[in-house]
Amino acid sequence: MKKLIILFISIFLLCGCTNKSYDGEINVLNWTSYIPYEIIRDFEKEYNIKVNYGTYSSNEELLAKISSSKEGTYDLIFPSDYMVELMIDRNMLDEIDISKIPNYSNINSLFLKQSFDIDNKYSLPFLAATTVITINRETIKDSIVSYNDLFSSKYENDIVLLDDQRIVIGMALQANGYSMNEIENDKLDKAKEWLLKLNKNVKAFDSDSPKTFLITKEVDLGVMWNAEAIIAKEQNDNIEIVYPTDGFAISLDNYTIVKGAKNKDNAYKFINYLLRSDVSKKITDEYPYINTGLYSKNVSDEELSNILYNGSYVKNIGMNIAAYDRIWAEIK
Amino acid sequence: MKHKLLKNLFILLVFFFLYLPIIVLIIYSFNSSSMNILFENFTFKWYIELFKNNDLIMSFVNTLIVALTSTIISTIIGTISAYGLYKFDFPLKKLINSLIYIPIVIPEIVLGISLLSIYTLMKLELGMFTIILSHIAFSIPFVIVSVRSALSSETVYYEEAAKDLGASNFKIFKDIILPVIMPGVVSGAILAFTLSLDDVVISYFTAGPGSNTLPLYIYSMIKTGITPDVNALTTIMLTITFITLTSIAVIQSRKIRKRI
Amino acid sequence: MKKNSGFKSFFILPIIIYTFVLILLPIIYILFLSFCTSDSYGGILYNFTLDNYLNIFDMTYIKMLLKSSLIALVTTFICILISYPFALILRNKSEHIKNLTTKLIMVPFLTNSLIRTYGWIILLRKNGIINKFLTSLGIIAFPLNLMYNKLGIIIGMTYTLLPFMLLPVCSAVFEIDKSLIEAAKDLGAKPLQIFKNIILPQTISGVFNGSLMVFIPAIGYFFIADILGGGKTMIIGNLIKNQFLTARNWPFGSAIAIFLIIITFALVKVYKKLGGKMEELGGL
Repeated sequence: MKKLIILFISIFLLCGCTNKSYDGEINVLNWTSYIPYEIIRDFEKEYNIKVNYGTYSSNEELLAKISSSKEGTYDLIFPSDYMVELMIDRNMLDEIDISKIPNYSNINSLFLKQSFDIDNKYSLPFLAATTVITINRETIKDSIVSYNDLFSSKYENDIVLLDDQRIVIGMALQANGYSMNEIENDKLDKAKEWLLKLNKNVKAFDSDSPKTFLITKEVDLGVMWNAEAIIAKEQNDNIEIVYPTDGFAISLDNYTIVKGAKNKDNAYKFINYLLRSDVSKKITDEYPYINTGLYSKNVSDEELSNILYNGSYVKNIGMNIAAYDRIWAEIK
Repeated sequence: MKHKLLKNLFILLVFFFLYLPIIVLIIYSFNSSSMNILFENFTFKWYIELFKNNDLIMSFVNTLIVALTSTIISTIIGTISAYGLYKFDFPLKKLINSLIYIPIVIPEIVLGISLLSIYTLMKLELGMFTIILSHIAFSIPFVIVSVRSALSSETVYYEEAAKDLGASNFKIFKDIILPVIMPGVVSGAILAFTLSLDDVVISYFTAGPGSNTLPLYIYSMIKTGITPDVNALTTIMLTITFITLTSIAVIQSRKIRKRI
Repeated sequence: MKKNSGFKSFFILPIIIYTFVLILLPIIYILFLSFCTSDSYGGILYNFTLDNYLNIFDMTYIKMLLKSSLIALVTTFICILISYPFALILRNKSEHIKNLTTKLIMVPFLTNSLIRTYGWIILLRKNGIINKFLTSLGIIAFPLNLMYNKLGIIIGMTYTLLPFMLLPVCSAVFEIDKSLIEAAKDLGAKPLQIFKNIILPQTISGVFNGSLMVFIPAIGYFFIADILGGGKTMIIGNLIKNQFLTARNWPFGSAIAIFLIIITFALVKVYKKLGGKMEELGGL
């Protein structure tokens, strides 16, 4: 027993020591698979600031984590468009002081002044993504340009979708010619019927790593974020990526600082570091989302305007989320 | 004869089922491919790689801190309480005696969200402290049950005898009761430790920033595919705990034999 | 006398504090929450309502509760089917072997259940070990869908929870009076009769004990449904998790949790009626 206590104390001390050697810390919550660990480690070394890095896999999970924890628990978070709007509404964010972020100049202005935070008072663009259809051309020869092309009985158990109710129900709405933010019951009913019909072709819902399903050839079709699709294509050249004609979702994730953050200055340092064009490039080289930088862009301005024109943001729909929640429970 | 063979085969099949995924994990810890899909070549590199993976090591250390702290505290409280509930009468005793089974029977997720709710209510910062507190919360009843089974009429007999000889209460507990119930305490502690290492659900709800434990680390990478260094770590952990437990069992059986 | 009362409080105060702060308070608080409503942003409004409980009885959720219970029931049933013969065979072995087997059942528990679940992914996926093995033997032409469906969930649940059935069933079966069975045999009873009239009545509380410890976790282990079910099947655990982490509706999540607690208590009551003892739960 005594030995056990000594062991325990020594481990505790050991951890205490490793913490002490940093000048400061910063509590970050970010999406899973978004920033390579190497970049965080480089930042820690360069600035001698410890990064406590946690992850989430949906905006709602992020919201729950922030609102259920004490003020000052987290410093820097990366909510998407509609969540930024909601968090501003709820007074959960602090204004961003651009003067502390010299690398602000590396931001591509196409991504600034978006509807959810028109003056960029609380948010700066980090990375953007769109949903795409991903097709393994080794096995699938038919033309697929619309969500409605996924119905064929040939594709039974052969599709992976995102595990995200707004995106999946939104996709069903778009396939029926509606906007992806509908709240009217009859339109939502149509979307539900559409999804119930598609269900037998769906093998899995997964938001964390749908690419794995294509890479391991578990499925031949998927609707996923473009970065996932691009990684899958890097592994298997026969994969084709298609922007659906019915429309697609676009999502813009943003740097925001949580109200009451204890380590604001460190957060600015971290944002500034991530905005450095070489660092930013490293991020999108590893996770090929759409880079929002001016000097680190990975998509041409022409294609960007096209994406921003045809894609639609998920919007906050307030209490109507209950209807989505019920549809989701029904198709699962 | 054939019948008997069939019967033994059934037992073996059940064990095969229980050990299959673990054997697979151990085998794949020696796989040169990083994908955990096909076995390519035999290698030891993941056992070295493992020590370079800071996050994995940190989450492992956190897991150990949680498991050791919660085991020590819940074993102490559980042992004291088992004796208290056994020896004394007090108001509420009946109520407490039935309430302590709640963490054993209710679904872990219910315990997880209800603990999360009161931490939020009390504005406790989620982190190592809340994980440890939660693990203590679900371990104590198991320790009590385990210790209680070691408290028998035999202890009462010794206790009375010592009292007649004028020993103080604490002395009686320390010198007479404790040695008798020690096997129960040890198995209670082992149980608490195992439950803590195995837990996913409760840690999932009560963790905060900087308190990534091994299960949470694994959960975040399980769909992308776990890297074989995690397999290697699991193999090491399994070996160490297995050896520890076997030696505890051996020591205990020797002690019992000595007494006889 | 005073010294004695100090001695007493040392032994009973911790358990009193523990029970009230870490068991009673959390449950009372979620009971309270279950009568509140949530605003659209996930905040809690303290106005009394029964809506959350009425909501559970919506057809959508009822269907899901039934589906989840069915998965848990099938899991329990498979565990019983494995445990009975297992215990009956072991019954005739030596004490030493019996001890060793019960210890060996626990060893897999020394690794985290997530990592064991991950082991099943390697085994079950479309080009996983089992499918590769079966195709190479020519038993199947196309890979089977062993996971990302309900089958995967049931395999994972059975695997994770089997020990909780094996242990109590073994200890119940080992306690059966041997002479009773011998006597019945001498009187010419058939094996089925022996099972029905002697073994079953004497082991029923052990089996119910195991069933309780399998069924209840099996409706809550959301991570197994997530990982081996491919997110396609929601069980009650996922529903609660979603209410707390994604749908931001804590009151509804609390109502489902209270509902689960009530079901649990009812099952415990049946278990006690069958002569089961609380301290034997889980056979630990």
